[in-house]
Amino acid sequence: MKRNFTIFLLFAKNAFRTTSQGRIGVFLFLIGKIVRFVFMFYLIFFIFQRTRFLKGYSFEQAALFYLVFNLIDTISQILFREVYRFRYLVTSGALDMVLLKPHHPFLRVLVGGVDILDLFLVIPYGVLAIIAASHVVTTPLQIGLFILLFINALWITTSFHIIVLALGILTTEVDHTIMIYRDIVGLGRFPIEIYKEPIRGIFTFIIPVAVMMSFPVQALVGKLGGTLIGFSFVISSCIFVGSLFLWNIALEKYQSWGG
Amino acid sequence: MHTYLQLFSVTIKEFFSYRLNFILWRLRILLSTLVTVFLWTAVFDGKTRFGYYSKEEMLSYVLFSSLVMTLVSSTRTTELASNIQNGNLMNLLLKPMSIFKYYAAIDGADKFMNIFFGVIEFIFVVTIFHVPLVVPQAIIVCLFFLVCGVIINFFINLMLSFIGFWTPEVWAPRFLFIMILSFVSGTYFPLDLLPTPVYRILLITPFPYLLFLPAHTLIHGIEQQYIVEQVIFALFWTGGTYFLAKKIWKKGLSEFSFWGK
Repeated sequence: MKRNFTIFLLFAKNAFRTTSQGRIGVFLFLIGKIVRFVFMFYLIFFIFQRTRFLKGYSFEQAALFYLVFNLIDTISQILFREVYRFRYLVTSGALDMVLLKPHHPFLRVLVGGVDILDLFLVIPYGVLAIIAASHVVTTPLQIGLFILLFINALWITTSFHIIVLALGILTTEVDHTIMIYRDIVGLGRFPIEIYKEPIRGIFTFIIPVAVMMSFPVQALVGKLGGTLIGFSFVISSCIFVGSLFLWNIALEKYQSWGG
Repeated sequence: MHTYLQLFSVTIKEFFSYRLNFILWRLRILLSTLVTVFLWTAVFDGKTRFGYYSKEEMLSYVLFSSLVMTLVSSTRTTELASNIQNGNLMNLLLKPMSIFKYYAAIDGADKFMNIFFGVIEFIFVVTIFHVPLVVPQAIIVCLFFLVCGVIINFFINLMLSFIGFWTPEVWAPRFLFIMILSFVSGTYFPLDLLPTPVYRILLITPFPYLLFLPAHTLIHGIEQQYIVEQVIFALFWTGGTYFLAKKIWKKGLSEFSFWGK
């Protein structure tokens, strides 16, 4: 465990050095992400200037959905940025060298490119989420459930990224798969109740975007039943096991390209 | 002309070679449109008006603007930045054709494919989700703004690619531009819902002409009090971005050098 953590830190340090090479680019990307966050937040504020509730949620609650979405999305981007670069490893044959190394390949291909840039964004998102949450009536039990479901959401994002890696090996297609994943997850910016059936059902029970992005906040505000809380942990476990199964199949099928 | 038609045709054939890429791209656009449609439908739950927009008007704006954006924003000029960076620009310069016209032909094909599938998606969303729409108005004026928007966006995108002459950091400025554009062009909501002074200031910039004005004109017709200045600024930015792009292109070309090609 300690050895793996040391390797993880080494990869993170290297990733930081690579990122900091293009300072202007880093600065502009950071500004771009802040601009996107502010404009989308303004949209929510703008809507609530003219309406009191959105599907039964107040401004603070709707803002909390958006902030928690940003937290989960940004943390997953910090950790799993290397997945976006995975295609090159497959098509160039460089994945062979990763698989030959005496550590788990996930240390390199899943969490080997920590994006320090996004760390700067997590702090303000977290602070704003705490401010929004302080305006929401909740109980210690609901806060506990929120934390558990938040961790559960990160577990699901991990599984989805492993699935993208496996599909990357099987099809050599990563770029669109990861972007579609991000677009689908983007549905969670707003409470899942805004979507009509069957869209809502699909993104709750088949592709659990709602479990990832909506359920933690719903639990915090006391709008999530026990059955759905139980379902959240069952589905995240199923997806995790499924993603590892798919990864193993992909490794078995891998024949090494390029080289 | 024949050369550019050939380019148009080859680009269309290219799309059919990378079908999955294109289908996944359109799926992403469709998802984004659906999120906006559902969001505004939820906002109108139990309400008849938002500002001075009725539900029909707002949903029409969302869908019409999505179509407009499909036409205006689809571009292949992003490739030019990579071509400058990797030296492929030399191959293009050696060909007996204008780079501007070359990318206009490719962009034309890109827009043709995107708008074709955009219309199918539009019909799909309206039919499946029973989205109420208003009858389009002032179509000629809308087309005028649309043509201006397409041209303005084409030259702005070329200029963003020209950054490649001076720095390898070509994606970051484009990313920032797209983020700003998404708001100031009216993707999130109609710009005339903003406070009047902010709206008037935005009308001076080129951004509302890319999306807001064509979509807004289709829904509300001509804005009598602003139409003259809108037309003047649309023409100004169309010409202005063209001359600016030409100037930057010449400047960049004079400083361009590459080894190993």
